[in-house]
Amino acid sequence: MPRTAPLHPFTVLALAAAVVATTTAAGRWWLSCTVLLGCLLLAVWARRARRLAGLAAAILAPAWGSQLLIHGMVDTAGSQVLAAAGPLRITAEGLRLAAELGLRTAVLVVAGLLCTLLIDRHDLVAAVDLSGAPPQLGYLVAATLSLLPRLAQRQRAIGEAQALRGAAAGAGPLGWWRRVRLRSVPLVLSALQDAADRSTHLAARGFPAAGPHTRLRSVPDSAGQRRLRRIAMACIVLGPLAVLAPTWMELA
Amino acid sequence: MSAGRDTVLRLALERFSYSGAEGDTLRDIDLSLAPGSLTVIAGDSGSGKSTLGAVLAGMLPRHGGDELEATLHLAGQEIRHTAGAGPRIDPVGWARQVGMLPQDARHYLSGVRETVEEELALGLENAGVPRARMRERIAALADRLGLHALLPRDPGKLSGGQERLVALAALALDAPPVLVLDEPLAGLDAAAAARVSALVGRLRSASTALVLLTRSRDRLAAGADRVLFLRGGSCHEADTAVAPRTATAANRRPLSHASVLLEFAGVDLGYAASAEPIVAGLDLRLRAGECVALTGPNGSGKTTVLKAAAGLLRPGAGEIVHRTNPGGSVGMLLQNPADQLFERTVHREVAFGLPRRGPEAARVPAVLDALGLAAAADTHPYELPASARRLVALATVLVREPMVLLLDEPTEALDAHGVERLHMALGAVLERGGAVLLASHDEAFMAAAAHRVHRLGAPGGIRA
Repeated sequence: MPRTAPLHPFTVLALAAAVVATTTAAGRWWLSCTVLLGCLLLAVWARRARRLAGLAAAILAPAWGSQLLIHGMVDTAGSQVLAAAGPLRITAEGLRLAAELGLRTAVLVVAGLLCTLLIDRHDLVAAVDLSGAPPQLGYLVAATLSLLPRLAQRQRAIGEAQALRGAAAGAGPLGWWRRVRLRSVPLVLSALQDAADRSTHLAARGFPAAGPHTRLRSVPDSAGQRRLRRIAMACIVLGPLAVLAPTWMELA
Repeated sequence: MSAGRDTVLRLALERFSYSGAEGDTLRDIDLSLAPGSLTVIAGDSGSGKSTLGAVLAGMLPRHGGDELEATLHLAGQEIRHTAGAGPRIDPVGWARQVGMLPQDARHYLSGVRETVEEELALGLENAGVPRARMRERIAALADRLGLHALLPRDPGKLSGGQERLVALAALALDAPPVLVLDEPLAGLDAAAAARVSALVGRLRSASTALVLLTRSRDRLAAGADRVLFLRGGSCHEADTAVAPRTATAANRRPLSHASVLLEFAGVDLGYAASAEPIVAGLDLRLRAGECVALTGPNGSGKTTVLKAAAGLLRPGAGEIVHRTNPGGSVGMLLQNPADQLFERTVHREVAFGLPRRGPEAARVPAVLDALGLAAAADTHPYELPASARRLVALATVLVREPMVLLLDEPTEALDAHGVERLHMALGAVLERGGAVLLASHDEAFMAAAAHRVHRLGAPGGIRA
C-alpha cells in the first residue's frame, strides 16, 4: 500500500514551492540533482517510485526534447562548435544551457508530481474547506480531484458492459484505439448525465456551503508545521532574492 | 387557502409538464401531509411517482421549460406556481423542510467524500454543525441502522442496497419535517429492510411526515395512513388497475439428468484491493432448464458471483466451468441499467455490437416486441421510465439468446407489467434449454421464478 505524508497538505505544498523557487533561482546543476535525488528517495519511502518515474518520464521526455532542439541543436550564440550541418549548429554552450533548463524543468515537474503522490486528496479538500478560503474553492478542488477517479471507475463499468456484449477491443495499439473509440462517447455522456443527476441533490445538501461550515475530517497539523509553513513561504520570496540580489548588484 | 395547523405540507396541483413534452405528466392532485403521517403513492413505472416526489422536494419545475400550475403550503409559506412563472426556489432552504431519497440512491451520494462516515456528515458539515456533535449523531444513527461496519468504507464501492441504506441514513440525519422516499426498500436484504422499517417508525414518532413512492405495497406501505394510486398522472383512492397475469418459470421443473451448463467448484472470489475473499469455497451447479436464485445480505458477493460467471472476474481459487454448446453464450443484466446503456436510441442500444447482417440483428424487432418496447425503438433510453429502461437493458442481453442468463436484481425498478415480461423472458430461455442464475432480495419473485435458492453468507461479518 502506498504511504502518504502525515503532514498538513499545505505544509507539503509550501515546502515544495520553496524548494522549487530556490533551486530554480540558484540554477546550479548539483543542487537540482540533489533535489531530484531527494524526491526519488521520498517516492521510494512512499512506495510510489515507479509511478513517479513513469509520470515524470511522460512529461519530461517531450519537454527535454524541445529544449534540446531549441537550445542545443540550433544554437547561434555559442563559440565552441561541436558539429554543424545546414541549419544545425551544436555548441557546448547550447548543450549546457539545454541541460540546465532541463534540470530546472525536472525539479519543477518531479517536485509537483511528488506532492500529488504524498498528499491525500481528501486531506487537501478538507484543508481547503477548513482554511477560510471561499467554499467555492473547496468545491472546485473536490470536484476536480474526484473527477479522474470517478471517470476511471465509470470507464471500467462501460468496458465491462461492452465486453458482456461481445465488443472486445483486442490487444496492442489497435485495441487501445478501438477501446478509446468505443468508450469515449458513452463515458462523456454518462459523466454529464451523472453530474446532472447528482447536482440537484448536492445543492439540496447545501454543497458547496454558503455560510460557516465545518468538516468531520481533521487534517494533521501542529504549531511546528504552521511555523514551518511560514518559513517556507518566506523562503519562496527571500530564497530567490538572496540568490539573485548579488547578480543584480553586479549588473547595477 | 391556507394549510391547516396539523398539516406540514399541502400541495394543490393543477398540472405539471416537462419541457418539450406533449402532454401533462401530472394533473389534479391534492395532497395534505400531517406530522407523523405515512402517505403511500403507488403506481407503475412511468405513472409520475418520481415526478410528484421531485415536485414535493422542490426539485421540479426546472427553470426554462417545465410548467407547473400549483400551490404549495410549506413551513408557513404559500408558494404559488403559475404557467410560465414561478418563484425561484432555494434548494437548501427547501431541503431543510423536505428531503428526498431518489429512486437511484447513487445520485444522492456526493462522490467527493472518502468514507461513508464523511458522506453521512456532508449535510451537517454544510450546516456548520460542530465535529463532536456530528460524530455523536452519526454514531447514534449507525447504532440504530447497524451501519458501524460500513462507516470506514468507500461510498463508491458499496453494493446497490448499501448505497440506498447510506443515502437514507444521510437523509435521516438531516431530519427534515417531510421525507419523500422513492422505493426505499428496493435492493435491501431482509435485515436491512427491517432496520429501515424500524427507522421509518421512529421518524414518524418524531413527527416526520413520510411520503412513500412505490410500485408494490411492501411492508412499509402496510402501515400507511393513506394510500393513493397514481395512474395517468392523477391520484385515485382505490386501485382499479388490472393485475397482470403472470406465467412463472418455476412451473416447469428442470430435468435432474439435464446437462450442467455452469459449475462453480470451490471458488474463492474477491477484488485486488480486499485482503479477504468476498466469496469463499462456492460450489454451485446450474443445469439446462434450471433457474437458480442467489440471495444473501447486502455486500455478500452476489454481484461478484455473477460477474465471475460472466468472465469479468477471475477466481482466486477453485474453478468455474462453462459447458454451453458451441455458439452458446453467457449474457448478464447488470444491477444498474445506467451501466449498460450508452446508445442514442433503444434500437441502436439493443443492436450494439451485433454484426449488421447476422441473425442476431434480425432478432432485434422481435425482442423489442416481446418486451413491449416496439413503440420506443427510436426513443433515447434515458427518456424512458425506469421500468422500461430496465427492460431495454434486458433486451440487449436477450437478443444474443444466451444459454446462461445472469440477472442482477432483475426486478429492481420493474413494475408489475415489467415483471410479467421478465417471467416470460425467463421462460423462453429455459424452454430452449438454457439456464438462469439470478441475484435478488425479492423473495416473492424468487419463489415464483426460481427452482431453488442458494444463500450466500455475510462477508466478514459486514452486514448492511
